[in-house]
Amino acid sequence: MLDLVVIGSLGDRRIELLQGALAKLQLPPARLVSYSDLIAGKVDLRDLLTPTSLLRIESPGKSVESEHALLSLGANCEEPEACSYERIGQAALAAQPFEKGLILPSRQWYLGYCRILELIQQQAGQTMNHPAAIMTMFDKRACHALLESHALAVPPAIGPISCYDELLVQMRQRNWRQVFVKLAHGSSASGVVAFRMHKEQYQAITTVEMVRHQGQVRLYNTRRIQIYRNEGEIATLIDALCRHRVHVEQWLPRAFSGTRIFDLRLVVIAGQVQHVVVRQSAMPITNLHLLNPRGDLEAVMQAVGPGRWQAALETCQRAAALFPSLYMGIDLLFKPGFKQHAIIEMNAFGDLLPGVLYEGRDTYSSEILAALATSQVGAS
Amino acid sequence: MTIGEHKTQFAGKAVVDWDAELGLIDPQDRVYRIRYDQEESWLDMLVTLLQDPQSSQLFGLIMGAWASAYNGDPSDEIAALVEAQTQLPALKALFIGDIVFEESEISWIQQTNVSPLLTAYPALEHFGVRSGQGLQLGPIHHESLHSLIIETGGLDATLVRDVMASDLPALEHLELWLGTSDYGATWALDNLAPLFEERLFPKLRYLGLRDSEQANDIALAISRSPLLERIKVLDLSLGTLDDLGAAALLANPATAKLQKLDIHFHFCSETMIDQLKTLPIELDASDSQLNADLDFDGQRYVAVGE
Repeated sequence: MLDLVVIGSLGDRRIELLQGALAKLQLPPARLVSYSDLIAGKVDLRDLLTPTSLLRIESPGKSVESEHALLSLGANCEEPEACSYERIGQAALAAQPFEKGLILPSRQWYLGYCRILELIQQQAGQTMNHPAAIMTMFDKRACHALLESHALAVPPAIGPISCYDELLVQMRQRNWRQVFVKLAHGSSASGVVAFRMHKEQYQAITTVEMVRHQGQVRLYNTRRIQIYRNEGEIATLIDALCRHRVHVEQWLPRAFSGTRIFDLRLVVIAGQVQHVVVRQSAMPITNLHLLNPRGDLEAVMQAVGPGRWQAALETCQRAAALFPSLYMGIDLLFKPGFKQHAIIEMNAFGDLLPGVLYEGRDTYSSEILAALATSQVGAS
Repeated sequence: MTIGEHKTQFAGKAVVDWDAELGLIDPQDRVYRIRYDQEESWLDMLVTLLQDPQSSQLFGLIMGAWASAYNGDPSDEIAALVEAQTQLPALKALFIGDIVFEESEISWIQQTNVSPLLTAYPALEHFGVRSGQGLQLGPIHHESLHSLIIETGGLDATLVRDVMASDLPALEHLELWLGTSDYGATWALDNLAPLFEERLFPKLRYLGLRDSEQANDIALAISRSPLLERIKVLDLSLGTLDDLGAAALLANPATAKLQKLDIHFHFCSETMIDQLKTLPIELDASDSQLNADLDFDGQRYVAVGE
C-alpha cells in the first residue's frame, strides 16, 4: 500500500483535497507532518519514513502559524546577497498582531523556508516534489534565469533593481514602456505591480494596497485591484517592494479570448501537461483567486490552433523537465495573434485547481497515480 | 473608470473579430472588429477585408487597437477608411478605438481628426470614438447619423462645443463620457447649456452624460430642462451621482414619463433608490458605490493562498 507522508499545514484545503483523492482511490490517508512541528524540531522525518514511504511537500498555505514560524526561522538566516532586505526581528514578530493581508518581509520568509527545505532534503527519502525545485520556483529571479538559460520562451527581464529610479533608468535604456514588478518570493499575486508609462504619465495596477501608519508605509494584499497614478505614490510603492527583493520583467501584451485577455495555468504531471485552466481578466493580473472567471478552454484551443497549442505544451514540458519534481503548475501567455507564447510563472504548488479534471481525475488523483506508476512506492 | 472588455454589441448587432481565414460570414448582421495582432499591420488587415467579396455588404466596422499599446494616432488608418468609401457602400456603423485597459489607459489612446470619416460616409448611422486625447471633430453636419458616442476619461470643452454646434437632424442617441479633470476634462456645465436650453437634435430619444464627476450638477440641470420631457432614456451612469442629483430628478414629474433611467455605478442611498423604484419606469441602479469601500478590509488576502 502507498504510504504517503505530507508536510503541510493542518486544516489547509490542499490537505483535505489530497486526503479526498486518496480515499477515492481507496488508498490509506496520508500522514500529516505540520510545518510548525518540523520547524520546532518536534519531528524528524527519518523516524517517520520507511524505505517505501513517499514524501509530498505541500504549500505552507494560509497558515499564520507556519508563516510566523518560517519568518522566525529566517530571522536567524544570514543574507547571502550583498544587499539588505527588509527584516523583522523575533521579538517584533512575536509582538506583531495578526493583520490579514499584511505583507511581511518576504525575503526573510524565503530564507527561513529554504532552511526548512534543506532540512527536509536531508531527512527525506523518495519525494513527489523536490526541495531544491521548490526553492528555485520560489525565487522568481532564479527561476526566470534558469528558463532563459535553456532558451525557453519567457518575457525579457531586467536585472536586480533596488528602487523606482533604477527601474526607470533600466526601462528607458531598453525603451520599454511597461513591466511587471513582482516580489521575488511572492505567490498568489502577492506584491505584483503592472507598471506602465506614457509621456510624463505613469500608472501602477496592483494587488498591493498601501497604508501609511505612523510615518511608515505598510503593504497589504488586496483582491480589489488598486490603480495608482501619482508618480510619487508609485515610487513609494516600488521602493517598498524593492526592499523585499523583486523580479522585473517586460509586460507582454496578451491575447484575448472573447472580450477579455487570458493566460493559462497548466499542470505538468510526470512530464505531461494534464490539467489546464484558462484565466480571464479585465485587468492585467489574472489570478483566479482575485475572483477572475475561468475561461473556455475549447474556445482558446480552437483559436490558438493545434500546431501552436502543441508548441506551447512542449515549452511547458521542457520547462518542467528542468525541475526534479513530479508535478508543478506553469502559467503561460499567448501574445495577440497566438503565434508566440511565453512562460510567466512557475508554481511549485500550482495544482490547487478544485473541480478541474483531466481524464476524469483531479490534480491530486493524477499525481498520486503518476507517483505509483513511476516510483518504488507501495511495492510492499 | 476602466474598460476591461471589448465591445460585444454595437449598433444593436453582435461584434466579432475579423479573421481573414473565416472571411466576412455575416456582413449584414454582424459588426466586424479589426484588431492589430502584433504581426500584421492594421492597414494590411483592412486591405484583406476590403478584398473579401462580401465587403460591399458590410454593415459595421470597429477599429480596435491599431498598433502596439498607446503608439501613435490612427491618422493613416482613418485616411485608409476614408479612401475605402466606395468599397464600403453599406457601412452604417463605425467605432474608432475599441481599446481596453490591458492595451492602454483610455486617456493614453491617441486620437486624431475623425471628421473626414463623417464626410466620407454620408449614410453612416452610428458613429463612436474612444478617448478624447487629440480627438478633433469640429461642428459636423450629417443627415443620417442616429447615434453619436464619444467615450473619454476626460472630455475637452472644445469637443462639447463642437457637438453642441453640430447639425444632426436624425440624431436619436447622444452619449458623451465626460470624465474627470484628472484625465484632462476641461468641459464645464455651461458648455452643455445649449442642450438643456435650446431645441438641439429634435429626434433625440437617448441622452447619456456618463462617467461624470459632476453628475449631480448635470442631473440638476436636466431636471430643470424641457429636454427631460422629450427624451425617453436618460443615462447618468458611471458617474458620481448621489441623493442630491437623484432627488432633483425625482422632483420633476417628467422623470416618471421616461422609459428608462440608468444610473448604475452610483452613490445614492438605499432610501433614494427605493423612491426611484416607485417610478413606473425601467431603472438600472446596479453597482452601488456607496458602501464599496467599507468592504475593503474583507478584500485583503493572505500572501500564500492560491
